[in-house]
Amino acid sequence: MPDKHASYRSRYTADRLIPGAFDGETITRRRFMTGSAHTAGAIAAGAFTLPALAFAVGPIFKSTPHSWVTVGKVGSFPNNNYVPVIATLTPGIGEAGKTTVYMRAFNPALDTDPYDRGTPYIAISTRCAHLGCPVRWVDAAQRFICPCHGGVYDLLGRRVGGPPVRPLDRFYTRVVGEDVQVGPRFSVNSELRRFSPRDPAEPLDGIGQYLYPSRPTERKL
Amino acid sequence: MPRLPKLPAPPLPAALKAPPARPGEEDGRLGPIEDAKQAGITIVDWVDERTSLSGVGRWLLFRKVPKGTNWFYTLGSATLFAFLSQAVTGVFLAMYYRPDPAGGAYESIRHVTNEVFLGQFVRGMHKWGSSVMVVLVFLHMGRTFLFGAYKYPRELNWVIGVVLLVLTLVMAFTGYLLPFDQRAYWATIVGVNINGTGPLLGPYLSDFLRGGGEFGATTLSRFYSIHMLLVPGLIIALIGAHLYLVTKLGTTAPPWEKAENSADLREAKA
Amino acid sequence: MNQLEKEQYLREYAILKAQGKPFFPYAVAKDAAMACVVLAVIISLSLVLGAELGPKANPTTTTYVPRPEWYFFFLFEMLRVIKPPSLVPLATIGVPTLGLVLLFLLPFFDRGPERRPERRPIAVATFIVVAGAMAFLTYQGANAGSPFAVEMATPARVTQAGGATLAEYTVGKEVVASRGCLACHKLGDNGNAGPGPDLTHIAARLPRQGIARTLVNPTAPMPSFKNLPPKQFAAVVAFLGQLK
Repeated sequence: MPDKHASYRSRYTADRLIPGAFDGETITRRRFMTGSAHTAGAIAAGAFTLPALAFAVGPIFKSTPHSWVTVGKVGSFPNNNYVPVIATLTPGIGEAGKTTVYMRAFNPALDTDPYDRGTPYIAISTRCAHLGCPVRWVDAAQRFICPCHGGVYDLLGRRVGGPPVRPLDRFYTRVVGEDVQVGPRFSVNSELRRFSPRDPAEPLDGIGQYLYPSRPTERKL
Repeated sequence: MPRLPKLPAPPLPAALKAPPARPGEEDGRLGPIEDAKQAGITIVDWVDERTSLSGVGRWLLFRKVPKGTNWFYTLGSATLFAFLSQAVTGVFLAMYYRPDPAGGAYESIRHVTNEVFLGQFVRGMHKWGSSVMVVLVFLHMGRTFLFGAYKYPRELNWVIGVVLLVLTLVMAFTGYLLPFDQRAYWATIVGVNINGTGPLLGPYLSDFLRGGGEFGATTLSRFYSIHMLLVPGLIIALIGAHLYLVTKLGTTAPPWEKAENSADLREAKA
Repeated sequence: MNQLEKEQYLREYAILKAQGKPFFPYAVAKDAAMACVVLAVIISLSLVLGAELGPKANPTTTTYVPRPEWYFFFLFEMLRVIKPPSLVPLATIGVPTLGLVLLFLLPFFDRGPERRPERRPIAVATFIVVAGAMAFLTYQGANAGSPFAVEMATPARVTQAGGATLAEYTVGKEVVASRGCLACHKLGDNGNAGPGPDLTHIAARLPRQGIARTLVNPTAPMPSFKNLPPKQFAAVVAFLGQLK
């Protein structure tokens, strides 16, 4: 009985040297099993890797609710010098979630930048804009001074010397009744233009704001 | 009649001789010590029959080390030993530690240091052991560099070694935060911000390390988990690969050691 | 290394290995002795230096002076030395990443067959330069004092003069330390090199009147200290006037 396939050469099988393949067959039992093993293995590995990874990177995409903290009464802050107050950044972890903020009343003679108009109080963060060390306000020198790598800032928090890449961060302030409240943090560039909060060491001048994006869930300013 | 010289008595056949005294008692029975030895040998044999581990042991221990190796060649094993010391003291410190930033972490370390029996000693060993390990890693690397031991065929072992160096520094850095004293806190803030200075991805990396935009409730447990589970696991796996390659490729000979004076050996090989 | 050099190396190594001694017990004995030394060092460090626990972490502090563990001093000092803000990413991740990549790829760009250190001048010179730089930066980082303290020894002539001179010197030192001068000036091991000039030997370059004039009428960005209480101002001038 002549082989009815003899005259027919499949263009799939020809020259492909698939072991054990009949003519015209593009997938043998072995290839099928190899593929199944790879697929099943990948699914099994992905089934625990991907959720675990998502679990670990999840906090990046979690938005944090902003809170307002009362730090004093109207009139308790001078307009030419800073008073340290304690604000809460992360609630629920006690001391470890607090930070010091330097407060000063708005002074039209000093705060001439257009972005500051209408702000009742200037609240300056104590996190150095170089790498986050705690800066200290020195009244006699009218300077914020960082103890780590030599950052120095002037009265408005702008860099005077050392390596900081942008001025000190600030906080929103508002007056509710007789209370002065401190709200979320924001970052400023060297012209004191406001940006959503960045980590220290992330410049905001020029292309800096694009090289160092803010957190994805952060409300854009 | 002349006296014939006396011939020596022919030796007795072996079968007729009294058996030589066996170890143990006079009657040839085994004593308890020999019984115990036999039992040990039997157990080892039983395991070996099923695992063939003795071959691995021979391969690992009775390989030849080239002539001329000196004290500089002990730096690698000294690093391994420092790592083992860190692992053991770390396990015991973990029994007392609570990764709770709201006071528990600092309090538990204070408890270990001041109240637990030998607590300050074990914590001191872990703390200073990290310094010793960092120093030994650098010395071992310097030896490898100066002796040209990273060259063919040991390139891959050098690469693994560099990864181990990085992981050792990661261990040193993540271990820092755990006591949660002032130095720990501020060094961590600075370290996380240093990671954040990478363009584009940096901010996400520092968010990942902190578990959020600010130092938060889970930052400490993140560092704890990285310090005692993730990185040690990687280090153990890579040390295994490092040692496998050392055994397979052999310890290097000192670079000034030459085989010129051994013509006979070369001929023998030929 | 080409194929011939590779084979030559392997042959030579096989001979050296055949002439060697077994790993156990000869090398193991040395390793074990070294392990004992390592353990002895760790235990004595632990017994002598203990495990200090600093004050509890306090993010609200404005007076703490953070310093890293000693084996990160070279990185810390690099952050202090590289001042221009535009170069900060270079200091934080640029140089360390470049160093690690070069270290990682070392066997792939250094492929010469020579292994003797005395015949690899470039490699050994690089090693010495890098190790020296790390040692130097570590030393500098270890000695980087707080910008809120002056840890200079009082000169002998001031101690001998005693009385009012010594008292004024001490007050002036205290004022200089607490009023932020060292944020921009270096004074012995304390303070930062720049933007202001080094004050360690300022009196040798500037007379007292000059110091007083500069404090009242400085060049920007230095702030004027004319609002200091007169006694403190006089003490600062007296203190700086002694730094020859």
